[in-house]
Amino acid sequence: MKKYLFKRILFSIFSLLVVVGVVMILVYSLIERSVIFQTDDIWNKKSNNDRAVYEYAQYQKYGYLEYVDYTSFVRDKYVEKYGEDYYTQSDYLLDKDIVQKADAFMDNETVKEFIDYYNKKGYTFSYYKPITFKSGKVKPGGKGYFIASYEKSVFTRLGRYIAGLITVETTKDVKDPELTDRYIRIEKDPYGGGFAVVGSGTRHKYLIYFDGRFPYIHQNWLHLNLGVSYTAYRGQEISSVISSPTGELITKNVQFPTMFGTDEYIESAIDFHSLTYNEAEISDAEKAQFTDRYTVYSYNKAGLSMLQTSFVIGIIATIIAYALGLPAGMHMARRKDKLGDKLGNAYIIFIMAVPSLAYIFMFAAIGTTLFHLPYKFANANVKILAYILPVISLALPQIGSLMKWMRRYMIDQMNSDYVKFARAEGLSEKEIYKIHISRNAMIYLVQGIPGSILGCLTGAIITERVYGVPGVGNLLTNALNQHDNGVIVACTFFYTSLSIISIILGDLLLAKYDPRISLSEEGGGGR
Amino acid sequence: MTNNEAFENVNEEELFRFLREDEKVSSEKIVAPRYSYWKSVFRVFFKKKSNIFMLVVLVLLLLSAFICPLFMPYDMMENITNPATYNLSPAAAMKYFGGFSFKWMLGSGGMGNSIFYGIFSSARTSLMLAFICAAINMFLGIVLGAVWGYSKKVDAVMLVIYNIVANVPLILLVTVIVYIIGTGFWSLIFSLCVTGWLGIAFFFRTQVMIIRDREYSLASRCLGTPLPRIITKNILPFLTSVIVTILATELPSYISMEVYLSFLGLGLSAELPSLGRMISLAQSAFLIYPWEFWPPVFFASVLTILLYLLGQKLADASDPRTHMM
Repeated sequence: MKKYLFKRILFSIFSLLVVVGVVMILVYSLIERSVIFQTDDIWNKKSNNDRAVYEYAQYQKYGYLEYVDYTSFVRDKYVEKYGEDYYTQSDYLLDKDIVQKADAFMDNETVKEFIDYYNKKGYTFSYYKPITFKSGKVKPGGKGYFIASYEKSVFTRLGRYIAGLITVETTKDVKDPELTDRYIRIEKDPYGGGFAVVGSGTRHKYLIYFDGRFPYIHQNWLHLNLGVSYTAYRGQEISSVISSPTGELITKNVQFPTMFGTDEYIESAIDFHSLTYNEAEISDAEKAQFTDRYTVYSYNKAGLSMLQTSFVIGIIATIIAYALGLPAGMHMARRKDKLGDKLGNAYIIFIMAVPSLAYIFMFAAIGTTLFHLPYKFANANVKILAYILPVISLALPQIGSLMKWMRRYMIDQMNSDYVKFARAEGLSEKEIYKIHISRNAMIYLVQGIPGSILGCLTGAIITERVYGVPGVGNLLTNALNQHDNGVIVACTFFYTSLSIISIILGDLLLAKYDPRISLSEEGGGGR
Repeated sequence: MTNNEAFENVNEEELFRFLREDEKVSSEKIVAPRYSYWKSVFRVFFKKKSNIFMLVVLVLLLLSAFICPLFMPYDMMENITNPATYNLSPAAAMKYFGGFSFKWMLGSGGMGNSIFYGIFSSARTSLMLAFICAAINMFLGIVLGAVWGYSKKVDAVMLVIYNIVANVPLILLVTVIVYIIGTGFWSLIFSLCVTGWLGIAFFFRTQVMIIRDREYSLASRCLGTPLPRIITKNILPFLTSVIVTILATELPSYISMEVYLSFLGLGLSAELPSLGRMISLAQSAFLIYPWEFWPPVFFASVLTILLYLLGQKLADASDPRTHMM
């Protein structure tokens, strides 16, 4: 069994990698990349060579390629040679301005050095000659540029993505040479209950800590890097976007580290457990508040995170669906061709055949006009009421599908020999249905339970759109509209892992529920 | 006793006689009532009055979707320059355009377009999309699914492909295809078909695997029947009702799919009227201008329900077990 599970997991990881690779090809190679400039005002304003260089910068930002400008190479070279005063040196100025002289350009030693260095790394070079008027004056945006660029292949892209997927913070993370005291140790936590694992030299100050928020123990040590958003959530890591709380700030009386031991308190929403190292210059105000360079923080917010919002709605809908759908399906099978069965079938047909968009709007219209429930999530005065319509819209189709399959499997079981035998033994109809038939019919449905629970984490596209729910359902569609390639890859990775985990968990649950089923090849009756 | 007494007075000549030459052949045959599969299917199907009623309604709807646009030319842009015609309720629209007319009996849309005319033109696009996609996907899915289910070597390869392709999000695929070959009727068909057949093939594979290992199939293989013949003669006829069941769910699903993709802004191009586009254009203000929203929703729902129900009934009828009198 262990061997089987190990093989299954290995195979799943392989498929996951291939899916991510396929999506990377789709996103980075097949979609024409210049579409990102369609709505870009800066691109429109730029012209000539400036526009070409701007394109390189944007392509790098969106993750298409990596590029190096010759100018920055020259600067780095002379910073190393002369230190801070490099820009006054004559040989620096000569090397820097050589780009503007197309005829003498190739004979320059630094240019040759640049070409040699990046040639070895597999870069390709493009020289943008200065564009001038006849008078010799440079046209707007016509300055010369020399650029080395590197187009990532799918394998490098995939390799780097996988390598950077999980990062662990270490004491060497902060590159500041002035920081000498580097450690990870357990200290008393002034902001939460008891003790915390505190790091110095790590990016976050508090690595593991306790507080009053669910799930009470939190960590900043391990990070999951699904992908970075370029447009929708500028520069943010998508896993932190979907899991950080939203909504109104919670303020309470807190003390900055310099206030410890005094009676001084300020009212603020600062989350001191989120402190990260400030590598930039520290302001005087920050010096007055903090005793070290961990001065960057985020705020405590009252609302649920995007992921939690989707999950809460999804899981309530799923619980309702199982609680209503299974008994309804059993009832329909027991009273086959009676009124209840006919009504149930009508409902199933309605749910199966009518476009989901249509009945979601139908529920929205009924809910808002007859029961005066809030329609848009953001406009709800009582937050709980805003959940009702989305939950109903998600639950009703699930109920329909569960009813359909439960009824089907129950009816299939009803003609089995063991049912006839049980009847011959003198069991009451109630016992037969409850103990024998429904349990055997459930075998087919058990496999789907982990999937329907984990599926709540992906959110619901239409429901969340119609009711304006701030969940994760529209992450992918929004990213597609805005060419947010990092988010597209992140979403695919997230969805695929969830679906693969659900299938494996479903099979395990199935084997647990029905001991006759053996997953590994040795036992059981499978071919 | 009575039998013997009855025969005693009869001579042998009357009990037995020699057959004439032409009588010999037919008497050698075992006579059974004539059974034609498809005749029985339709006999069972048309026995129910409700089926006939639904079929008539569906045919009327189909005819109206394909014929009405010929007489009621729909032009989304005809009143685009006249904002006074935008979003008029049925009563207001008929008043504005001078008395009762079929064209304005359902009011006007956000661009002064006629909702009533729009529905038929839109339904034609949606139906054509559904029929073409269903035909392509069903054909590919069933042929490849049969091979997939029959051959264990193909199964190993296809399972890997299925696991990968089934996990690429459909909206991502549609977006990429739209970027590569542009929006339009055929590009949408292409994106719905490029992976759409896999799901059908996977479902069909499981059905084929169940039949594959039945005794008569094994016997046929032992006698050296070639693979294509086993698939077409031994397996496919057994699965006719399964095929019709798939058809019953597939056809309406493409109409729903088009509505869904249009809602996300990924559907057909703007100049092509479709039910999905009508619904998604009207959805933002469906409480204020209900006459723009509900007619296409109602038409799409009736179409999908009828297609689904009739498909289910046909599937029931195509199961030979229901053919017993």
